[in-house]
Amino acid sequence: MSALLNIDNLHAGIDGKPILNGLSLSIRPGEVHAIMGPNGSGKSTLSYVLSGKDGYEVSGGDMMFEGQSLADMAPEERAIAGLFLAFQYPLEIPGVTNMTFLKTSLNAILRGRGEDEMDAASFLRLAREKSRALGMNDEMLKRQLNVGFSGGEKKRNEILQMVMLEPKLAILDETDSGLDIDALKTVAEGVNALRAPDRGMLVITHYQRLLDFIKPDVVHVMAAGRIVKSGGAELALELEKSGYAEYVGETVNA
Amino acid sequence: MLDAQSYFDRISGDLSGDIAARASALAAAEAVGLPTRRQEAWHYTDVARLLGKPTDDTIEGVDFAALNPLMAVFDNGRLEAAPNAQGLTVSPFQHDGATANNAVLNYNAALAQDGLVAELSGALAQPLVVTTQGDESVHLHHKIILAPDAKAVLVDNHMSQGYTNARFDIALGAGAELTLIRVQQAGHQIGTSQIKLSENAQVKTIALVTGGALARHEANVEFTARGGHAELHSAVLGRGENHADFTYVIDHKAAETTSNTSAYNVLDAASRGVFQGKVIVRKDAQHVDAQMQTRAMMLSEGAEMDAKPELEIYADDVACAHGSAIGELDRDALFFLRSRGLDEGSARYLLVAGFIEQVLSHIDDEAMADTLRALIAQKISAQFSVEGAA
Repeated sequence: MSALLNIDNLHAGIDGKPILNGLSLSIRPGEVHAIMGPNGSGKSTLSYVLSGKDGYEVSGGDMMFEGQSLADMAPEERAIAGLFLAFQYPLEIPGVTNMTFLKTSLNAILRGRGEDEMDAASFLRLAREKSRALGMNDEMLKRQLNVGFSGGEKKRNEILQMVMLEPKLAILDETDSGLDIDALKTVAEGVNALRAPDRGMLVITHYQRLLDFIKPDVVHVMAAGRIVKSGGAELALELEKSGYAEYVGETVNA
Repeated sequence: MLDAQSYFDRISGDLSGDIAARASALAAAEAVGLPTRRQEAWHYTDVARLLGKPTDDTIEGVDFAALNPLMAVFDNGRLEAAPNAQGLTVSPFQHDGATANNAVLNYNAALAQDGLVAELSGALAQPLVVTTQGDESVHLHHKIILAPDAKAVLVDNHMSQGYTNARFDIALGAGAELTLIRVQQAGHQIGTSQIKLSENAQVKTIALVTGGALARHEANVEFTARGGHAELHSAVLGRGENHADFTYVIDHKAAETTSNTSAYNVLDAASRGVFQGKVIVRKDAQHVDAQMQTRAMMLSEGAEMDAKPELEIYADDVACAHGSAIGELDRDALFFLRSRGLDEGSARYLLVAGFIEQVLSHIDDEAMADTLRALIAQKISAQFSVEGAA
């Protein structure tokens, strides 16, 4: 089966500073990949480069999403193509309700795919159903986007956006940070419910804990902007015991 | 009003009241002339220069009709027909000859040809919309009195392309509640409001300036008895060389009075926003709470925001604070919205609309708020080359 996402020898950085140094990674539909690594290894940069944030420059290599090069696509084009990034630090947008935002987002994506926009009543039904499944009350839909939300509520809200938009590839950037165990379980349930044969996921995390709840098919260790080791779910457990020291040392000497 | 004397000579035959008193007000005004930047309260607003600038902002008819309002339309300075409703008493305009130590008010005292003189009692079911339209220079002096426990929504709908010197004298009886909504889309206006609050009275002003070569909105709020509450919120959408100046003096003369002020400015091109807010807490006015916030979103390097909050506190048991945040459109927020499928124009629209919504959300009447949201949506789309979003 051809890859959903194929990253080949990717070099990228910001402000002239290289961060990704020849990263290669391939995710097939249905697979959940986890990327683990020490702070500063370039995990979040990878998520921003994939989703098209301003300021990051790709200086070499390819990132192909369903055979299409992401490098030339605007962030919204990537979203319409089916890429989704759950942010490590979700943004607050004052004066825009969660509901208005979700509706604008969903309809922009439907429109971009040449599909009909969703009418107000169907949208409301869908948003309520999906938010309740994530343990969010209706009040949270009426509130301003992430304004005054706790850390856990913001992360839940990211997952709500993900389940509403049904992406082909979801990138979760440290979704576990700032979550207590109950919130972590709820979020993981939301993510697991989305696992599907035609959908891929890239779970970026510093800790093994999240992977107790979202079982990865493949675990990668990232250090100094490259994948330095890949393995099965057992690799995460190994890392939990031995830490990253081995990999950090290796790449410094490399 | 560059040649006030000849203007006065021309119209004095039509002016009501004591012509000699008007003439002396004019003499007092002419002795000092319109304010200049040498006066502290006008430091950021150069009246003579701004009056010389043409205004090319379009005026949209705001659709108040759906709210079934009481209308008072001033066409080139004359009230067309007095509104009529239970609880509303409108009296003929009468010049009172008073002069003040202020050239703007003295010109108004000399030249005001008309104004709404209204007394409100009970809860007015319909909003009262005062529309100023036409293209001539006009001076208006409105006097609005709310009887104790009266409740009303008043709209100052400024649609004039000409020069307007408008004065609002507003007095709120004990327990009265007034929402005052002001909209200026174009023209040159110097507006002065004097708002007096009796015991437990509440006033909330929401001002939207979407254009105009000169929009000076001055408000002097005075708490004369305990328990009063005042909110003054303003939103500015500046394009071209628009100039919007909100200058407030909030005088807490009585204990247990509270005020909350916010100013939101979105400034594009070479537009300029000015906010001057002075809070005074008098010696015996304990337990006063006064909060002031200025926020500006700068969309262009040529735009300018001047914010000058001032606290003058003579009592010792008070809670007063002011804050100011001036920045560009948040690039991280823009990326976040684009990553959710919104194109750049729609993302910018949503951020600007959300910014202004923080002022509109203070309007309690949802139908009124929606009417103004429609105007703001139209203006944002027209002014900042961004697409409207559903």
